[in-house]
Amino acid sequence: MKWLELLTVAGATLVAAVTVVVLYSLGVRLTAIAGDRQVAAPAWVKYLSYVCFGLCAIAVMFGLYLIIPYFSG
Amino acid sequence: MVALVIALALFFDFTNGFHDTANAMATPIATGAIKPKTAVALAAALNLVGAFLSTEVAKTVSGGIIREGSGGVQITPDIIFAGLMGAVLWNMITWLKGLPSSSSHALFGGLIGAAIIGIGFHAVNLETLLQKVILPAIFAPVIAGLVAYICTRIAYALTARHDPETGSKLTQKRGGFRTGQVFTSSLVALAHGTNDAQKTMGIITLVLISAGTQQPGSGPQLWVITACALAIAVGTYAGGWRIIRTMGAGLTEVKPAQGFAAESSTASAILASSHLGFALSTTQVASGSVIGSGMGRRGTTVRWGMVGRIALGWLFTLPAAGIVGALTALLVKTGVVGVVIAAVAGIGAVLYMFLVSRKSQVGHHNAVEVEEAGQAVRFAKKKALARARAAERAKNKNLKGPQR
Repeated sequence: MKWLELLTVAGATLVAAVTVVVLYSLGVRLTAIAGDRQVAAPAWVKYLSYVCFGLCAIAVMFGLYLIIPYFSG
Repeated sequence: MVALVIALALFFDFTNGFHDTANAMATPIATGAIKPKTAVALAAALNLVGAFLSTEVAKTVSGGIIREGSGGVQITPDIIFAGLMGAVLWNMITWLKGLPSSSSHALFGGLIGAAIIGIGFHAVNLETLLQKVILPAIFAPVIAGLVAYICTRIAYALTARHDPETGSKLTQKRGGFRTGQVFTSSLVALAHGTNDAQKTMGIITLVLISAGTQQPGSGPQLWVITACALAIAVGTYAGGWRIIRTMGAGLTEVKPAQGFAAESSTASAILASSHLGFALSTTQVASGSVIGSGMGRRGTTVRWGMVGRIALGWLFTLPAAGIVGALTALLVKTGVVGVVIAAVAGIGAVLYMFLVSRKSQVGHHNAVEVEEAGQAVRFAKKKALARARAAERAKNKNLKGPQR
């Protein structure tokens, strides 16, 4: 029985999904703060949200890189 | 016989496609992130691309469940034909019932049933069966559900906005998740293409090899890849609206943040499993994710009755497809006449189910509508339900033209 493989898959799934969700959620949150009318948010908040979305995109790209054998050999 | 098997294999690929559109596109359709038509078109395109991307899985299709090769038994086109028949029929039945069930399990079930009749019980490798099919079937939804649950909690916790002084809720502004869903669901569709089109390619290659027209050990030929990719894309575009309704609205109420979390988990689970070699079924992962994300958001109820029905469907997939496969194998054993009878009966059954689905749309459809409307008040978001229904209606209209 491949219990170890099962655990690896479970772990990898958790790590990957949590990474993407955390980054994207942060991005959404920061965009929301940057968009607030009453309290003027500092400009860096907006850029930080872009960074979050960017990192999220990179994480997804890395996932693609892993599944497409053409790239990963 | 070879041509017949290839045709049947391509048809299986088609049913696989429309059975599994729901995995990728049910949640974005339910939340309104993508319009239904656009969603299935996107899924179809990505499935097409995905099918061309990788052919690694194709070589290991039956994966040792049936002892083939030297020292084992010889798989003949007859057995593959019988197995495919079982798989196709079971796919059609579950589609008619709107149940998301694993196409690969149907395929395995059909092949096992056919092999037991055609060769004998010793042909089936029970240990591999347990390891490759039964245990993943238990763990796939559990893992995906758990991860989706955690992700949903995280997504909501991170985006919950309260006024620091009064503690009252601010506008939550979670609309961004809707955009995100477009990408995550695309990823699921792509992953599906890289996985599922492979199975049919593997089957056709197996047939060609056993018929002696292709070298043993060689990969699938280009026309096989193209045909399979096209079959699965067309199937995906045809869209299994019944299953989409189940996944998008039948299990739980889906909101953008939830959908995003569920799709991220589905995509991660499929990618992780296909990359690390513990194969999980796309359908089961996706269903688990939707259920998990339903539990993760406060104030949402998971409709456990529907979950139970789906679980029951999974339980029956292997034996039911197996029985059809076995019966077909019995027929095929009798010779050419048997093959013809089996083929005609199979086509007849598929046509019959198709006709039932079209005819019952009005009556059966209305019944579901009434039944669901009652439950929708408590559980499901009406808008999503209405949207799914409208999609189905539009689909029907396209299919059969004007009707009462």
